[in-house]
Amino acid sequence: MLDQKDLRPKDLGRQDEQLIKLETYNLMPLLPPYDKPGMQPPITEPKPAWREKYCASLDGFIALDTLTRPQTKEEEDEFVRKFLSGLEKIFSDANNGILEPLLLSFEYCAKCNTCSEACHIYKAAGDNELYRPIFRSEVLRKIVKKYFTKSGKLLGGFVGADIDVNWETIARLGELAYRCNLCRRCAQTCPLGLDNSILSKEIRKIFSQEIGIAPTPLHNKGTMLQLKTGSSTGLTKPAFLDTLEFLEEDTEEKFGIKLKFPIDKKGADILVLHNAGEFIAWPENPVAFAILMNEAGLNWTLSSEMMGYDSVNYGLWYDDVQAKKIALAQMKAAKELGVNRIIVGECGHAHKASIVAGDRMAYGDTKVNVESCLPLLWDLVQSKRLKMDPSRNNFPVTLHDPCNVVRQMGIVEPQRNVLREICPQFREMTPHGVDNYCCGGGSGFAIMNSQNFPSFRDNVASRMKFNQILGAFQGKMEDASQVKYICAPCSNCKGAMRAILEHYEATEKFNLQYGGLVELMVNALVSMKKPFFEFLE
Amino acid sequence: MFLSLIAYAAILLFLGLSAYKAYQFSKLPLHGRMELYPVPKEKGFEHGGSFYEEISWWKKPREVSHVREIVEMFKEIVFIKTLFENQRPFWWLSYALHLGIYFIFVWTFLLVAGAVSMLNGIVVAANTTSIWGLLLFYLTYITGIIGLVLVALGSGLLVLRRMFDSTLKKYTTPQEYFNLLLLFAAVVTGIITWSSDFTFGTAREVTAGIITFTPFAANGLLVLHVILVGIMLIYIPLSKMSHYVGKYFTFHTVLWDNSPNLRGSAVEQKVKAATSYRPTTTWSAPHIQAPSSTKK
Repeated sequence: MLDQKDLRPKDLGRQDEQLIKLETYNLMPLLPPYDKPGMQPPITEPKPAWREKYCASLDGFIALDTLTRPQTKEEEDEFVRKFLSGLEKIFSDANNGILEPLLLSFEYCAKCNTCSEACHIYKAAGDNELYRPIFRSEVLRKIVKKYFTKSGKLLGGFVGADIDVNWETIARLGELAYRCNLCRRCAQTCPLGLDNSILSKEIRKIFSQEIGIAPTPLHNKGTMLQLKTGSSTGLTKPAFLDTLEFLEEDTEEKFGIKLKFPIDKKGADILVLHNAGEFIAWPENPVAFAILMNEAGLNWTLSSEMMGYDSVNYGLWYDDVQAKKIALAQMKAAKELGVNRIIVGECGHAHKASIVAGDRMAYGDTKVNVESCLPLLWDLVQSKRLKMDPSRNNFPVTLHDPCNVVRQMGIVEPQRNVLREICPQFREMTPHGVDNYCCGGGSGFAIMNSQNFPSFRDNVASRMKFNQILGAFQGKMEDASQVKYICAPCSNCKGAMRAILEHYEATEKFNLQYGGLVELMVNALVSMKKPFFEFLE
Repeated sequence: MFLSLIAYAAILLFLGLSAYKAYQFSKLPLHGRMELYPVPKEKGFEHGGSFYEEISWWKKPREVSHVREIVEMFKEIVFIKTLFENQRPFWWLSYALHLGIYFIFVWTFLLVAGAVSMLNGIVVAANTTSIWGLLLFYLTYITGIIGLVLVALGSGLLVLRRMFDSTLKKYTTPQEYFNLLLLFAAVVTGIITWSSDFTFGTAREVTAGIITFTPFAANGLLVLHVILVGIMLIYIPLSKMSHYVGKYFTFHTVLWDNSPNLRGSAVEQKVKAATSYRPTTTWSAPHIQAPSSTKK
């Protein structure tokens, strides 16, 4: 095992059982009250059986639960061959949709290392070399140079083609692609405008699109399940309809509101597309949407048709082919319903997938106009179509900026405007807006719970976010009688929030709560007879 | 004659290869949108926002400020703004090098202008009666000194920084040291060559000789300098030092390109062409069905 400070990109091919090991005391310090000894749970070590079966030889964490160790030399060689074949393809017309950004980011890095300071994972891990954004990119460059460039073949180490390529190198690189949240914060600071996340994603794509290896929650139980059943949750149409019925009854029972979800209403103005995970994990979110939209008198509907009731598109994180299949199927479902527009609920990656990435996947009649829910929500508040009483939200609230919605789509102000209007104690975290950090759950981390990967996510990837939250509530943290609310208008980000709050027992110890934006809006509705939040009762 | 040929060939190849590189990037297929905010051309959303902050954004007229985009581009080209904001210690060295290169560009033009003026009978010297000659003399003098010193310092210190910074050392390949050392060698041989006359009178005479293909006496050092500069000019567009080309595309066609695919737009035409293209290469994973292999 190496001291992380001595680690070099070419070490990825070393035969060590594990390259580096993370220790809690080396991680970025947390703010009070988590600066005291014993406040941080330990890092989960890999079990011996996992080491035998998977690739735990990078940093001890396992993200790729479908990548298993080969039994024979032939299998090992075949794996390397397939990876190299995929690597060649990312520079071919099979990859036209990203070729230009990829070539630019691949060729021009000046190794100025400006990106490192922008990376929440690198900083949270205590400036750990393995997670430096250019580390992974440089490994990929070395392999490409070694196998696919004349200069690499002729000049070898002179041009950086000095890495041993074996099963361990490639498997570790595959794991390392899942130590980046694809948040693209580093690209904002690159003087040449390059983007290390593109290279991380290309590695993920080679594994999935060429070798057929991807984390189970993203692929088998993600995109594959969605294409088969209509939802990555596995929720079928009858189950979805049952869920809605249950939520209607439950809402009446709890709040005395006769809620009705409009379903498959032909020719409605708006199709609301939620992350179907909300109906299962955070049903209060779609309920809150329905209450608001009904009260505002909007002509809207949900779809119960195949691909019409789940906005997620995990393909965005690891597989372009899956991403396109899902995006086109969702467009088709909306088209068949005859709505004027789709409004994407509080799900960040669904925003990016259907509004930005999907924008160039189709044209003409195939396309449906898609927009974010956030401008609409602000309009409902601004225009006073909804009567609000801000005093009902009189507790400290901070706002997380989902990377896909804010940094990558420029939707910065509407959600802030709502909070300024309805939350008297709203405070920004530092930094915020387009400069905010990822929640640590981005690019699939929030739903990847295999082996000890959650330990990496909660201890490292989400660490910066947790510190930002603690920073925003300084002076209020230790008062457990005081509710403190993290507004995270994104399902995936909420998943990450749920995980860190559980990890640090922050709800139990310090009354730190989390949820979306619409829940705060409904809580402030004058028409509500009782608080919408259970924690306020 | 020999030096003239090298000089002309190097300049032409530098321009030609750079233009070819730009042409190659411009011909790459349409890519998916990868914008990153703030996007400077977003008019009315200076806080880093975009047209997506509007309800039914597709119905609103799209307002784009090319002035803001150009101002941002100018800050990036002239000051390397992003590096200045995000890594100041490195910026000092990198900026010295880049600013020095800009000065040397100007100096080269002034040398050519001085040589052409000289050939037309205008005296370019400190004691000339011609205002044009005087202007050329002092501008050449100032830009030359600043340019040569800054490039030598910038490239030399960047090499040292890479050698002695424990992080940069790990990521710098021998080729990347070579790139910086080539710049350093080209400029240092220049400094030594012109050291006998830092007002660059000799340099102007040599320039006149080179542009008119007139044979002139050249010592070994001058020959070495011209050859090194020639190699450098040809090598730069072939290496990643051609980032002056790449940077245009990373910002303009990737990070700042947020043009939506609206009905009847130019983007729609490109999307139409791109989606009808059938790739010649296909992915092999089992879940991916092989598309048709026929090329459009």
